[in-house]
Amino acid sequence: MATALLIVHGLVAIALLGAISHQTLATWAPAHARPGSFFGRFRAVPSASFANAIVVLYAVSTLLGGILYLYFRVDIRPELERAGHWPALGLFDLKEHFISIGLALLPAYWVCWRHPRADEPVRTRVAVTSVLAFIVWWSFLIGHVVNNIRGFGS
Amino acid sequence: MTSSHAFRRFAFAYGTAFAAFYVVALKLDLALFTVYPSLGVVLLGTHHARDVVAPSLGFLAPAMYWYGWTATAALGALLFGFLTALLPERWTRRIWPGWLWAVPALAMMACVYLTLPWFRL
Repeated sequence: MATALLIVHGLVAIALLGAISHQTLATWAPAHARPGSFFGRFRAVPSASFANAIVVLYAVSTLLGGILYLYFRVDIRPELERAGHWPALGLFDLKEHFISIGLALLPAYWVCWRHPRADEPVRTRVAVTSVLAFIVWWSFLIGHVVNNIRGFGS
Repeated sequence: MTSSHAFRRFAFAYGTAFAAFYVVALKLDLALFTVYPSLGVVLLGTHHARDVVAPSLGFLAPAMYWYGWTATAALGALLFGFLTALLPERWTRRIWPGWLWAVPALAMMACVYLTLPWFRL
């Protein structure tokens, strides 16, 4: 059960990573890029269309991660503590803290993209998206490091 | 139109307040509930093992606080968000929208600071 959930969690995380990376790069890339260039094609995709998918994927990924965390605490973490992997556990704790903060940002993120106000600075939307992108990348990388730690770097 | 404006005020206030409340909950260890996954038990409030004779028992019944910290911050942020949604639009327009990303970014830095002891073990 936990293995199946972990695989689904990983797949959802990959989809989320792709969507938020695309959206973040599109918001940071120059708006006047040449039409045929890589960034030109990147910018051609309407970034706002990713917002609903990102909110749903983030929420589903957090839910699955929240269930898996129970298995992690009972079966995996005591082993890592006995093996003295304290920095890895610290990084994993940070992942949990960041995910909670990101989850709470989702309603505002959705409003910024789907119902932007004319007088609202664009940089607010760019910054919120960037914070979420950082959280997603951090969580993805640390999740993989901890998942593979017994074969990672040893 | 009015309800969408109220939701915007709520969403901005909730996201900002949650980050601040989360750091407070983490620093003061204010978990709304404690989860014992191996026992399938959830207790209201923050509970720490007091067994100094056999601390290894913590391995048998590990406690989880993350859910509780998140719930504490969510509760505080919900109240803050609802109150902000009730405020007149002309009041909230003066608030710098950058708080929405600045407070979470600062909260994440505070989380890094509070997690530093893990890296000194």
